[in-house]
Amino acid sequence: MANDGEDPRKDALDEIKDFSDDIIENIENSEPPRMTIPSRSTSNIVFDEEKRFYTLAGKETTRTAANMRQVKKFAQTMCAADFCKGLINSDKTATLREMYYTSEGWPTGGFKSQDRSDRVVEDLESSFAVKREDLGLLPEEDGASIFGDLTVREEGMEVKATEAGRAGYTIPPTMSDVEFVDCGAERVLAVETMGMYHRLVQEEAWDDYNALVVALKGQPARATRRFLKRANNELDLPVHLFTDGDPFGFHIAMVVISGSAKLAYINHELAVPDANFIGVTATDIEEYDLPTDNLRDSDVKRLNQLLDDPRYSDGDWEKEINKMLELGTKAEQQAFSKYGLEYVVEEYLPSKLGLN
Amino acid sequence: MALAKDIFKEFREHSVSEFFRKNAAMLGYTGKIRSLTTVVHEGVTNAIDAAEDAGILPSVYVAIRSMGDESDHYKVIIEDNASGIPEEYIPRVFGRMLAGTKLHRNVQNRGQQGIGISGGVMFSQATSGQSTVVVTSTEDSDNISWNEVMIDVNRNRGEVQEHRELEGDWRGTRVEFEVKDVSYRHSRYGPNNYLRMTAIANPHVQIIFEEPDGSLTFFERATDEIPEQPEPVPPHPTGMRADGLLDLSGETQSRSVGTFLTNDLSRFSRNKLKELEKKVDVDMDQNPENLTWDEAEQIVTAFRNMDFMTPPTKGLRPIGEENIESGLNQILDPDFACATTRSPEVYRGGIPFIVETGLAYGGNAGDDAGSGEKGLEVIRFANRAPLIFNQGGCALTNAAEDVDWKRYEVDPEKTPVTLFINIVSYHVPYTSAGKQSVAEEPEVYEEVRQAVMASARDLKRFLKKKIKKREKRERASLFENYLPIIAQKAADISDKEAPDIQPLVKEIAGVESGE
Repeated sequence: MANDGEDPRKDALDEIKDFSDDIIENIENSEPPRMTIPSRSTSNIVFDEEKRFYTLAGKETTRTAANMRQVKKFAQTMCAADFCKGLINSDKTATLREMYYTSEGWPTGGFKSQDRSDRVVEDLESSFAVKREDLGLLPEEDGASIFGDLTVREEGMEVKATEAGRAGYTIPPTMSDVEFVDCGAERVLAVETMGMYHRLVQEEAWDDYNALVVALKGQPARATRRFLKRANNELDLPVHLFTDGDPFGFHIAMVVISGSAKLAYINHELAVPDANFIGVTATDIEEYDLPTDNLRDSDVKRLNQLLDDPRYSDGDWEKEINKMLELGTKAEQQAFSKYGLEYVVEEYLPSKLGLN
Repeated sequence: MALAKDIFKEFREHSVSEFFRKNAAMLGYTGKIRSLTTVVHEGVTNAIDAAEDAGILPSVYVAIRSMGDESDHYKVIIEDNASGIPEEYIPRVFGRMLAGTKLHRNVQNRGQQGIGISGGVMFSQATSGQSTVVVTSTEDSDNISWNEVMIDVNRNRGEVQEHRELEGDWRGTRVEFEVKDVSYRHSRYGPNNYLRMTAIANPHVQIIFEEPDGSLTFFERATDEIPEQPEPVPPHPTGMRADGLLDLSGETQSRSVGTFLTNDLSRFSRNKLKELEKKVDVDMDQNPENLTWDEAEQIVTAFRNMDFMTPPTKGLRPIGEENIESGLNQILDPDFACATTRSPEVYRGGIPFIVETGLAYGGNAGDDAGSGEKGLEVIRFANRAPLIFNQGGCALTNAAEDVDWKRYEVDPEKTPVTLFINIVSYHVPYTSAGKQSVAEEPEVYEEVRQAVMASARDLKRFLKKKIKKREKRERASLFENYLPIIAQKAADISDKEAPDIQPLVKEIAGVESGE
């Protein structure tokens, strides 16, 4: 089966070395070392209609060691690059926080706050077009849970996602290192809450639907989004998204589909433009006569913001958002329990997935 | 050189010693610290005036010695190098209140209206019960005259209790006060700061100061030029009051009221006399001695409705920009000093004054006010005499504090700056008889503000340059620090030898490494 590339960590190392060779050449020619970084400022983040996700426009900033305001950061970036080289060579990983603390011992002195060291990592990612996990750096957060007919290989060890306990296979932050070995599933069903995940596992819905059930756990981590992207690309599985029927649920779905503005420089590795939002929709609230809560002022405000967002300009989204505003109510995934615990598994989802 | 006997010809006497005894506080003898500073002030002012009057560069020695084991008992010694005091004047100089050579003249005056040195004698007598020792020798005496002086309070008369003739070739005056109920502090309000300020405002004066612990401070002179003496200026009609006019009319040489007015007032011409005659019912040909209160009042009331040229300013003697700078440089040893002397202005419609400011930065400038970090220090003067107390309600302080210092690169809390302000006038508008703070006359306030800002602009120019220089230095050190790290890290990453970074450091930082 396909892997994420030949060896993304070796590629990352090559990028760093090329960059460093250039710097040595600069210095030998008495030219100030410089690095080009795609600008991550909001003015440079655009929604690419064709790719259907957020991406960076062409604007780049140049950091030069000849600028007194940049020379320290430049030196810190070099230290960070050397730190990553060490991680890659020793086949280790470190969290962003660990790097932040390690920086105290660098000849440049440490960073004033972790934001700053995190930004240097983002600089490296966007400048070399590599992911942080390929540099050996990991976010703190856990990935999501997967249950279904999938076998992966992690560090030489094969893991079946149906044999890792009820909580399923946990996506590691180093998603790039995970090799897909075998997959019998035909689709991915990603749900917002662990509650819904356990319901689907208990009712053996993963088997009935022949699906990989993924718990997003709210706003999904990078590694989870990376998994969905790879499942869609490499395993050719359609991705279905099932969230709460409220503005936050819509937003979770949309971040999976189109990526977030903040990570625009890496969205080509994360966004799943073909992912399909199945519900809970405003129409569902009406048709299934779901128990609801009234929209709060903040919900109304947020929904109106969504209407201005180009990612929601697609007709179905607009229709659902307007309908929700019209109803003035929202509903959770669990609301289907009104018709019994199994209803969502036996009736609602099969109908949405076109399985009955 | 003026002779002592000529100087003392103008000596006048007023009977207010009784008044003083009851009002010591009003005259600066309030509080243990202030009383001591006041004694020093009176003695030093007397000493400097005496030397200047005689055309001698003043050298003043001041000592404060602890007496026995009582903590509030001191001897204050002030010695000058002036022309000495003729023996017959000693009881009057040291024994009578409001006795002075300048009091009756409309002239810029460093002293405290002549209550002066005799106040010190009185204070000593009242607190310690001891007489004041006066040692003096004039140019035409062969011996040194040693005297013990006391004041007969009831008769407003000084009395020499003991007199001795000493042999020796010395000229000058040495006064020794024995005082109690005072305390010595090496603080902003103590004699040390008083003398430091005096030295700054009088760069032609040398002061040697001995503190109770025996330590000596030398305030060296910064110039050998004795300032020109202020000239008496006839009073200006504006601001004249009936009692003042009557006082003058009693003293005049003129035979008629008309000539008295034109001769003894400034800016009062024959034409003005004609104008005045139409406004008042006063016989201008009568002898001035016969002028009545009612007539005097008619005249001064008429003055208020007449226009006069502003009074002449030739009597005013500012210290001058150059001398202020010298004083600041000599005493504070700053990195930078500048000064501004404004043109004469007039307040209350008729009283001329001049404002001078100076700024010193770095060195011993600035005051830490106990915080450990030196900030803005304001030192105030009236006719070169330090104003130490009542800083709060003073127009000079207020005008200085109202300046937006940030605009001039000065942080009043953190920039080590001494601001010097001197107001020159033969009638300084004090807020009270204590004469330690200047009243908020709008013209005075505005002039001080303008002068402070002018000096602050000069300082800003200097500070800007300094900041630029420091930034350049910081900039260079940034590159010196970080470029080698970039080179080393690049070498580590590429597994190569570190390239020689020094040519690039030189190129970018613009300085040799380690320069």
